Amino acid sequence: MISFQHVSLAYRTGQLALDDLSFHLRSGSFTFLTGHSGAGKSSLLRLIARLEKPTSGEIQVGNTAYSTLKTRQEPKLRRQMGIVFQDNQLLYDRSVFDNVALPLIIGGYKFKDIKTRVMAALERVNLASRYAENPINLSGGEQQRVGIARAVVARPKLLLADEPTGNLDAEISEEIMKLLLQFNASGVSVLFATHDRELLNSFKFPQLVLEAGRLSNASDASLHLHAKQAPETVS
Amino acid sequence: MKEPVLGSRWNYTQRGYALTQSIRQLRQRSAATLLTLFVLGTTLALPAVFWFGSASLSNLVNGSVGEESLTVYLSLDVPDLEGAALAKEWQEHPAIRKTTYVSRDEALALFQEQTDLQDAIAALGSNPLPGAIVVYPSSSDSASAMAENAEALAARFNQMQTVERVQIDLDWVRKLQSALNLFQIIVSLLAIFLTLTGLLVIGNTVRLELLRRQREMQVSTLLGASRSFLNRPIVYTGTLYGLLGGAVAAVLATVSYSFIKTPADQLAAQYASPFRLALPSAGQFLTIVAVCTLLGLIGGLMTVLRPSPSILTNR
Repeated sequence: MISFQHVSLAYRTGQLALDDLSFHLRSGSFTFLTGHSGAGKSSLLRLIARLEKPTSGEIQVGNTAYSTLKTRQEPKLRRQMGIVFQDNQLLYDRSVFDNVALPLIIGGYKFKDIKTRVMAALERVNLASRYAENPINLSGGEQQRVGIARAVVARPKLLLADEPTGNLDAEISEEIMKLLLQFNASGVSVLFATHDRELLNSFKFPQLVLEAGRLSNASDASLHLHAKQAPETVS
Repeated sequence: MKEPVLGSRWNYTQRGYALTQSIRQLRQRSAATLLTLFVLGTTLALPAVFWFGSASLSNLVNGSVGEESLTVYLSLDVPDLEGAALAKEWQEHPAIRKTTYVSRDEALALFQEQTDLQDAIAALGSNPLPGAIVVYPSSSDSASAMAENAEALAARFNQMQTVERVQIDLDWVRKLQSALNLFQIIVSLLAIFLTLTGLLVIGNTVRLELLRRQREMQVSTLLGASRSFLNRPIVYTGTLYGLLGGAVAAVLATVSYSFIKTPADQLAAQYASPFRLALPSAGQFLTIVAVCTLLGLIGGLMTVLRPSPSILTNR
């Protein structure tokens, strides 16, 4: 699903944000991306979402080799992945429904499909009854669930989650985690960036561990990440 | 599954979404929007008033020349039959709209009717007046073209042996046309500057709108929005400003023009002129709105085509 070959990313100052990363994530996998703040987790996700271009190396997501990707093809690529953010990135000038509908409007879906898909996504995150509310009236956990509904509403093959539980307490974090596991069980590949030790210890999934822009478990990354593992929770 | 109660289905199409967002942005800052529309309206109203005035003056000049005629006095030895035949022949010429032959007897009758010289004429014993042909030149698009046509005809008639003299007075038309041309050039320059000002106002307002919508654009980009999807609401906002600003300008111009109309008509009446300022037509009103809408569209396009820093790169 995701393949990195000797990928590096440098800031304009020349300092390396990511240094010679190579790994391969299989389709349908659930992988944690972990490391301290500033280790390069967000940069790696931004590379996958094509919000940044690597300084060197080759990235491939699905059948798309980024080196041959044209700028005008980038939006279509992003529409094939869902992104969940730590600060949920909801728009507070519109309803929950309209927030979740945005990827479908962007994708040019028909009104009937938009209605069906949005309500189905909200059902899955248990917020269907609150579709007409402004997200500002929802709790942090509920807002994050709206963010997840928006990320999966277009049924992407890949879900990128950038510290989605970062601002939430343990109980709600686990709830969010379970939601992501449900999507993973339905075949969606999930790359979950977090530095939450408790969460990492509770769910035994392969981990990409970043330290100062380098994969610290590079030697065994391929071994771990090629194997599709069944979701396993430790309560 | 619960059936959601939603707004119009059109709001969930790409174009409908863009228009809804644009209208929402304008409504959210209604005071600022109204102020901007007033600025646009007043800026664009002045060129509109000039345009209305210029059109009226052109009509005055063209109308005046359209009624002008040449009087061609024939030689005394040209009999009435030949004069009438000449008039008929000239009427076939494409540069001539109409001719009227005034026979020697008719000329004498008119002369006697309009002067007190009947006794003097009777003392002469014979009719001293020649036959004349009144020639009305063909209409043309402009007063100067009509004047040139009339002068060309006069020159041609003057070369004929049967013609004694040609009477034409178009100097005043030429002077009026020159004054009108000067007025139109000054007004055009002023209109260009004011229109450019309007365009800059729209461009700047839309630019600010773009900055206000930065967050929405960032989120939409992350969700896979194309450049055209991101730009469409901005272009629509510019077009809406143009459309509404144009409507304000057209209303202001019409109201201002109606204030000018009465004193202008009174002045014309004092000079015994049939000229009257005509209030702007629906076509002129719509033309102003259409031109301003086009300006808004251009302002919006200028904003989105202008290079801006990436809304995504945070490095």
